[in-house]
Amino acid sequence: MRVRRSADLFAPPLPTRTPPAAPLKGIAPPSASPAAAPAELWLGVQVAAGAKQTGPDSPPALRHLATLAQRFTPRLSLEPPDGLLLEVKGSLHLFGGVDGIRREMARECARCGLRGTLALAPTPLAALTAARADRSLLVLDPAQLIGQLSPLPLAALRWPQKLLERLASIGVRTIGQALRLPRAGFAQRFGAAQLGELDRLTGRVSDPRERFEVRTRFRRRRELPCELENHAALLEALGPLLTALEQFLESRQCGVLELECRLWHRGCPPSRCALRLAAPLADARRLAELIGERLGTLALPEPVRACELRSGLPVPRVPSSAGLWQPGEHGGLSEAHSPRLIERLRARLGSDVVKGLAVLEDHRPEAAWCVREPGACSEVAHCRPLEGGLGSPASRPGAPRNAARPRRPLWLLPLPRRLTERDGLPRYRGGLRLLGEPERIETGWWDGAEVARDYYIALDTHGRRLWLFRERHPPHRWFLHGVFG
Amino acid sequence: MSSDFSECGAALLPQEDRPQELARLLAHPFIWRAGHAARTQAWPTGFPALDEGLPGGGWPRSGLIEILSSRFGMGELALLMPVLATLTCRAGARWCAWMAPPLQPFAPALEACGIALERMLIVRGAPHARRSNHKELWAFEQALGSGACDIAFAWARQPPPRQIRRLHLAAQRGGTLGVLFRPSWAAREASPAVLRVTVEPLAGGARVRLLKSQGGARGAIELKWASQAALAGHP
Repeated sequence: MRVRRSADLFAPPLPTRTPPAAPLKGIAPPSASPAAAPAELWLGVQVAAGAKQTGPDSPPALRHLATLAQRFTPRLSLEPPDGLLLEVKGSLHLFGGVDGIRREMARECARCGLRGTLALAPTPLAALTAARADRSLLVLDPAQLIGQLSPLPLAALRWPQKLLERLASIGVRTIGQALRLPRAGFAQRFGAAQLGELDRLTGRVSDPRERFEVRTRFRRRRELPCELENHAALLEALGPLLTALEQFLESRQCGVLELECRLWHRGCPPSRCALRLAAPLADARRLAELIGERLGTLALPEPVRACELRSGLPVPRVPSSAGLWQPGEHGGLSEAHSPRLIERLRARLGSDVVKGLAVLEDHRPEAAWCVREPGACSEVAHCRPLEGGLGSPASRPGAPRNAARPRRPLWLLPLPRRLTERDGLPRYRGGLRLLGEPERIETGWWDGAEVARDYYIALDTHGRRLWLFRERHPPHRWFLHGVFG
Repeated sequence: MSSDFSECGAALLPQEDRPQELARLLAHPFIWRAGHAARTQAWPTGFPALDEGLPGGGWPRSGLIEILSSRFGMGELALLMPVLATLTCRAGARWCAWMAPPLQPFAPALEACGIALERMLIVRGAPHARRSNHKELWAFEQALGSGACDIAFAWARQPPPRQIRRLHLAAQRGGTLGVLFRPSWAAREASPAVLRVTVEPLAGGARVRLLKSQGGARGAIELKWASQAALAGHP
């Protein structure tokens, strides 16, 4: 007996492994755990949401409440659909103790038009469960936690209804009754996940929570001292706004991917110039450079009275260290330099003009490639093993990479072009001479874009090699589909 | 140093023909000859016959070159596939920019040539391409001068010679090989490009004629397409 107790005292509580030495012991941790002051104190809030929202996203009212509640603590997590958890141990003394913080939180709830139930407990799940059971529990001592939780109904844990019914059928309706069940049997009969939840409830294992953070956007407007029409002067007027944006982003270690600049006029709707960036950016000078490119193409209907800068959502940015060499020098940077070119081209020509290329695993030529973000790896091509066919020698094990690959032209026409015929042979600005054997591509019946074609390589009168196909089905028309560059 | 120059002066006096004296003079490190082009850095073209004819043994690493062909698709792009494969697959590869290509570059064919597709940067031309030629030239100049590209292609109908000079300077600034594809009638015009070649198709290869190559050879060179480059038209 003595041996077992000492083992209970000193053995670290393990979450999922059931201790085989104590088959009759309940789920609850030994009551003789050291009665120290709790390391954490969680405030669980359950708001009576008017409309029941069961979507994956938390309702806006709850997000709003969470935003307001950020003044109590930075450690705050959303428990959709209707719960909120705050770790308030460190801020109790700032709000006049437990009573003060409960009063303040209730006021915040009222301000949002919500009725909240508040419960304080040393573990987050206990606080949340108590709040969900509509009990304004106040547990400051971890030793009292289990005793206080015991009368709560199991339904407050929001387990599946079926499981609750099974537990009820063996007479287990409250948390206390569930905690008295043997661990091994409980895990076996009702699931290890539920056992883990009970362990988190009682503080036997730690319970990390995802932190809620408000992602604010930057939005600032500046009235100009005089009306401006000159693009260069406008860019200068935007300077303070851009500097403010840079500070805003720097302090959050973020960058923007989208930025909109609005120019307000006296008599007509504001001119907008939107910027989309390839990589998160926070540098005011480079932003000014890009906006300058964009402004250069913008026609202003009237002089500008005020300008406004609105950012998209800030995106986490990893600041990179600058290169030792200047870009122009030998060994100068290239990787870090490259988004600049893309951004500059996009700023001037439009955001969807600059693209990268990738190969898709498909035998149909028009479906064998796609555009994507420049620099994105084309991982698709080699990861999916397909059964060896015409277009997939790369995926055939053991085949040399280029040995069995059929000939493909360097240029593809966006749409196959119909060719005229004479005596059953195609013509393209003169007669064509067909070379070699045809290659049959007959596939795609599963997605409605079925093709059945015989592809030929043909030589035209100038010696160019063209890629033609003839439809397999009547009317057997000829089409030009590619040019060997 | 001064004695060296006085020697030079003496040697230049047209007193009598002294070939060995002239050879000694020409070996002087201060004298560069136009035909002596070892100083240009070059990328190997992938065709040994062409490497021999080009100054520095390949395509220049920076500067603008022109490839002329009577029509689109005469083998002018296939000529660049080997160098594209080496450029995109090396460590620290920069972008390969295509400025408003007239047709869609076919990704499976490029990959079959051994080109790393993630280095490709395709700038789509405006749908009404006739008018916005200057936009493409602007984009080409940006790509050349930014230093972010190893190689950049453009298909220009009729760029003014001053623009070509601008492009060439941008390419030198950015350390980029700029390739301008032009129709073959442009051979009649002068151009500031460092290298101008014309391409004609042959059976299973191409004939490359060097129109202008600073310090390189002249004349025509016949090339065979590599079989694995998926280009051979003949079985």
